[in-house]
Amino acid sequence: MKSQTAKLAASSSASRFGKAMIAPTLLVMLVMTAYPLVFTLFYSFTDYNYLKGTDKASFVLFDNFTSLFANGYFRQAVVNTIVFTLLAVLFEMALGLLAAVFVNGLTRGQKMMRTLLLLPYLLPAVTVALSWRMMLSSNYGIVNQALSALGLPVFNWFMDTKTAFGTILLIDVWQNVPFVFLLLYASLQSVSESQYEAARIDGAGAIQRFRYVTLPNIKGSLALCALLRTIDTFRLFEKVNVLTGGGPAGTTSTITQYLYNYGIKSLDFGFGSAGAIVMTLLVLILSSVYIKRAMS
Amino acid sequence: MNTWKKFASIGLAAVMAVSMAACGSNGAGGNAESGSDSGEAQKLTLILRAGAYGDSLKAALPAFEEEHNVECEVLELSFDDLHTNIALDAVNAEGAYDLCMVDGSWMAEFTENNVLANLSDLGYSFDDDIIEPTTAICKVGEDIYLAPYYGNVTVLMYNKQLVEAAGYAPEDIQTFEDIMDIATKTAESGKQGFLIRGGSADNILSDFLSHLLVHGGWVVDDNNQPTVNTPEFKAAMEEYLALYKTGGTLDKDDIVASVSNGETAMAQIWPGWYVPTADGSANYTVIPTKLNDSDTEKNTALYGIWTIGIPNNSQNKELAMELLEYVMSPEVQKESIAAGGVPCRESCLLDPEILAEYPHLETVCGALQSGVYRPVIEEWTEFTNILGTEMDYIIQGSKTIDQGLADAQSQLENLMAG
Repeated sequence: MKSQTAKLAASSSASRFGKAMIAPTLLVMLVMTAYPLVFTLFYSFTDYNYLKGTDKASFVLFDNFTSLFANGYFRQAVVNTIVFTLLAVLFEMALGLLAAVFVNGLTRGQKMMRTLLLLPYLLPAVTVALSWRMMLSSNYGIVNQALSALGLPVFNWFMDTKTAFGTILLIDVWQNVPFVFLLLYASLQSVSESQYEAARIDGAGAIQRFRYVTLPNIKGSLALCALLRTIDTFRLFEKVNVLTGGGPAGTTSTITQYLYNYGIKSLDFGFGSAGAIVMTLLVLILSSVYIKRAMS
Repeated sequence: MNTWKKFASIGLAAVMAVSMAACGSNGAGGNAESGSDSGEAQKLTLILRAGAYGDSLKAALPAFEEEHNVECEVLELSFDDLHTNIALDAVNAEGAYDLCMVDGSWMAEFTENNVLANLSDLGYSFDDDIIEPTTAICKVGEDIYLAPYYGNVTVLMYNKQLVEAAGYAPEDIQTFEDIMDIATKTAESGKQGFLIRGGSADNILSDFLSHLLVHGGWVVDDNNQPTVNTPEFKAAMEEYLALYKTGGTLDKDDIVASVSNGETAMAQIWPGWYVPTADGSANYTVIPTKLNDSDTEKNTALYGIWTIGIPNNSQNKELAMELLEYVMSPEVQKESIAAGGVPCRESCLLDPEILAEYPHLETVCGALQSGVYRPVIEEWTEFTNILGTEMDYIIQGSKTIDQGLADAQSQLENLMAG
């Protein structure tokens, strides 16, 4: 009986200790994540303007949401963002996987290749945008000069409706392929060599080894990569803001760029909050496939 | 073990308490001991527009700092970030900034929401030397809230060789028909005639407003109701599109590079972007004031003047006022020219000594004497976003002029109706 009471006391003490250990994290989560989310949700139902203050804000129920969905610029921004995200994630995953498999297969120079491939990801997005703007400048850009020297047509990359979206996509893919590469490369390192040997003994070719050994071993990492890249790409802002401002003719406008123009710049935080809620829901829907997979 | 844990906890708590006390005492001590009385330098924080605008003001600071035993900290930001930062700080009881640069288009929003201090109450008044039209948006009634610091006004940049090749001397560019003629001839010769600025909605709209003014149109009427679906606006848009077809759209750096390296004949720019030199390939002149020879003269140059003011929640208003008066004084304004400044003072811009070195300032002075501010309406940021975006659709061919202007008009009416 005594030993049972002691066990119960010890278990209760451990439980209290566990809760105490979790408490700081929970507190940080509440302050840093839950509070802003609740705050944003609350203000999305108001006409809160930051300069006018909360005193003058009033509840407008779903007015902000109906205005958003009735707004042609917002609808265009949503379509652009979804198309951009799908294309960017697709290209980044494909190129990142290709690079990871290639580097993993190298017998010499792996470290150097790994470092070189990572460089674009280490740069801030604004630096990347400005560097590409210089390279693609119509007047002094190296790309147009090279095309011109080769007798090829030159382009007004960021100001032409035919090229602006593709150019931003290219820059984003260039910068983020290294992230996918790094995660998949780390995952490939953990695939046991014995599995490849067994496949070789069974007569499997390179493509079969990739399909039946490599892919099943890294599918978890692939899903995680796709999830992280989807969430990150959906928030695309700096490159668009620096390079095109959402133009020409709205072809590169994204949800974040729209919210910046119509919510942040005009300090209409009520309207901006409604946009942020819609954006969060869209990201959750797009990511749900991966999240479901990760949970299972 | 438990004793050790207790000691560790007490130790950590003590470190935290000391850190917090140290943080608190730093601020309190700083306040108590700051100021010239204690011999320590007072501190002023300035929030300025990055580029030539802020640089010219920064150049004047060392002398003021020494004279007043003040340390000035300067924050330089882009157009949008400057607006956001001033606004975000405005709701605080104790502001972080003591002097701010303000674009004229923010005036209504800022004064409506009590962001700026009343400079008249602090003893400031304009003297006769300041070009009078540039002060138009600086006042609410008789009260002054801003002082025109940097005379930014649209001018016409041209390539000397290409304009001459089109059969014109710079002084012959008197009408918008002349601009079209030069642009067309240059385009026919295989170069670009006229460039317009792309990118943000504000860029697109700002560059267009001179063309609208010369056609006798404006974006709002006397009651601040939108007037964009009008025959004048449509005519201006048609003329603008015709000019666009002789060149294209670029960002500001590419525009300046293209005109100065002889790829393009003309473009509309702000003086802060380019400083002409006597032997340079490009120069600028005032934007014509007439559509054609038979037209009457109109004010067509658009002001983008950078004004300075004092945030209402500044903790050092009197000292900030001294700084404002100092940088607005004729002597300091004249000195600012060497640092890229463009004063709004006739005595500086028309000074023979200055003109000998910077002859282009005579052009700027002319433009400043007949410029037009953007409408002083609280909704201007949203107004610009909507109108600039619709104009971008028209320019890029995604919408017809009629469709784009009708869409803009209905959206702007909704906006102004609240």
